[in-house]
Amino acid sequence: MKRICLMVSLIVFIIFVLLDLFSGIGTGHVVFPWSHIAGFFALFGFIGCLIIIIGSKFIGHYWLQRKEDYYDRNDNDE
Amino acid sequence: MITMNNIPLAIIFVVGAVLLAILPHRVRPVAYLAIPALAFYFLLHLEPGVSLNFHFLNYELVPYRVDRLSLVFGYVFVIMGFVGGVYSFHVKDKLQQVSSLLYVGSSLGVVFAGDLFTLLVFWEIMAVSSVCLIWARRRPKSNRAGFRYLLVHIFGGSMLMAGIILHYNQTGSMLFNHFEGGIASYLILFSFALNAAVPPLHAWLTDAYPEGTVTGSVFLSAFTTKVAIYALARGFAGLEVLIWAGIIMAIYGVVFAVLENDIRRLLAYHIISQVGYMVFAIGLGTEMAINGATAHAFSHIMYKSLLFMGVGTVIYATGESKLTRLGGLARAMPLALGLYMVGAFSISGFPLFSGFVSKSMVIHGAEIEHMAAAALLLSLASVGTFLHTGLKLPYFTWFGNSRLLKPLKPRPVPRCMYIGMALTAGICITIGVQPALLYNLLPFTVHYQPYTASHVMQTMQLLIFTGLGFWLLIGKLGGEAKITLDTDWFYRRPSRLAYTVFSVSICRFFGVVEKLSLSLVRFITKLSANPPGYLVELVMTAKYAFLRTEKPAPEPATFNPDRYRIPLGVMVLVVLLGLIILLAWDIFI
Repeated sequence: MKRICLMVSLIVFIIFVLLDLFSGIGTGHVVFPWSHIAGFFALFGFIGCLIIIIGSKFIGHYWLQRKEDYYDRNDNDE
Repeated sequence: MITMNNIPLAIIFVVGAVLLAILPHRVRPVAYLAIPALAFYFLLHLEPGVSLNFHFLNYELVPYRVDRLSLVFGYVFVIMGFVGGVYSFHVKDKLQQVSSLLYVGSSLGVVFAGDLFTLLVFWEIMAVSSVCLIWARRRPKSNRAGFRYLLVHIFGGSMLMAGIILHYNQTGSMLFNHFEGGIASYLILFSFALNAAVPPLHAWLTDAYPEGTVTGSVFLSAFTTKVAIYALARGFAGLEVLIWAGIIMAIYGVVFAVLENDIRRLLAYHIISQVGYMVFAIGLGTEMAINGATAHAFSHIMYKSLLFMGVGTVIYATGESKLTRLGGLARAMPLALGLYMVGAFSISGFPLFSGFVSKSMVIHGAEIEHMAAAALLLSLASVGTFLHTGLKLPYFTWFGNSRLLKPLKPRPVPRCMYIGMALTAGICITIGVQPALLYNLLPFTVHYQPYTASHVMQTMQLLIFTGLGFWLLIGKLGGEAKITLDTDWFYRRPSRLAYTVFSVSICRFFGVVEKLSLSLVRFITKLSANPPGYLVELVMTAKYAFLRTEKPAPEPATFNPDRYRIPLGVMVLVVLLGLIILLAWDIFI
């Protein structure tokens, strides 16, 4: 199942790259450093997804997450 | 001077809320819907430029001022009031119905306020009516969350009042227009930023919105932050610090949403993320950017309430709101899933949905200012938004396996909730397919075409490959039964300490002072009642303490003729000595 998924996504990626190359990217009126890279946003989406997940989980596990009843002692004390 | 044309919409809602409180419960939902419908009728006849002037005490007030910016917000708030009313048609709780109507009305009051005094009044009414929607859930956790919400908002309201008073002192005018710098504007900016949930002032939103009622949170998600966006757009457009604040907000919301287990808290963090786009655009201040912020606010109200409605049906049906306890609902609640996904596609910016035509306007505004990093970071936030709202939340709520021991048995959901969702979904799709409908309402003329081939392709690339990333890491994305610390840690963690220092210690201090003053009074009374007797007693006590003579007899309760008293001659001697001193004083000085 995973192999099929990866094959399909590779094909889709290649389609996007071809579409990008033949549709004149980088010629709009706002040109950025990445405007000339074909398939840039596909890679950006994929890698950005990985960065967000890994980065946030890192922050959570090593710093910010606590047990669900963390505040109950503070809330319930009168 | 109040004619048909310039009756403030807020008044319609306030009067309606009062009426609603006295109507019988069978009629209330219908009356509830009639009020936004009536307001919409008035809106259609409203022209920019209408205003209502007013002299109050010494101030020149403009409680009602209509222009294109406030008109578009007015439209979306009234529409939201209506669909919210449809969604909550089944609610019989008078508190919720009256306070949500009052909430909508006060939001309209702020948006159409031309002067700061009216703004402040309606701002505070908003805070109070929204907290009732949280308290309406009537369970201890929600009560506490509501109190924290109220404390934060009252603090913000005080800052606002301080800023307004200072502003009036400095400029002599109460009118609500663009603010120049100065300490008064910073105070007002602080208050607006607090309501817009700019970190670090955002914790109230993620703390309180998940604790509201199912229908109440739908209203909550739509109004307070967007009213603050309107206020920022009116008063602080072009302020550079908002650019940075917006970008940080957009990423902040997404990062924290990854860690969230409660589905409504996850959506609340995404509110912060999306409002970040609007704040960023307001900071840019160009016509395209303000248009983008307004358009995004319009779409956001619609799709965010749709998302809250969707998860609201899940919570209503199952009573569960945590991803770790939900799962496998697709067969039982397919309609909720489908309508939820309309909202999810909208927030992610899929073509043909409302987010595509509004979010991209903001990013385009960044692009034409050549802000490369900002455009990239905002796109990154889009990736995260689709990941959580469009993929993770629906997957783990409707698909996947519930980790509970017993399978979830959802109870039937009132049809009105689905009708409300369908209406909202229809609006999201309509705006997406025909953006001109929205663009015509925007404050400035729109020179933007969202449906270009390159833009559509860019978006599809971004979203499809985010989906791939999700699919590959799906094992790591399930909820964890934990909470994430946020900036509310700073006032929640020390809450016991603060209670001890500010309440208990102060009470004890007052107790000690009271005791001391009472004993001082007792001393003076005893001394003045019988000074020589008291002095004798004092001497005898001192003799006992230092020289170990016999213990002095305690003060008798009744008259004792045999008690020791100073000879009368001693007092005569004292008086004589006093008179001699006076005489000597007179003669020699």
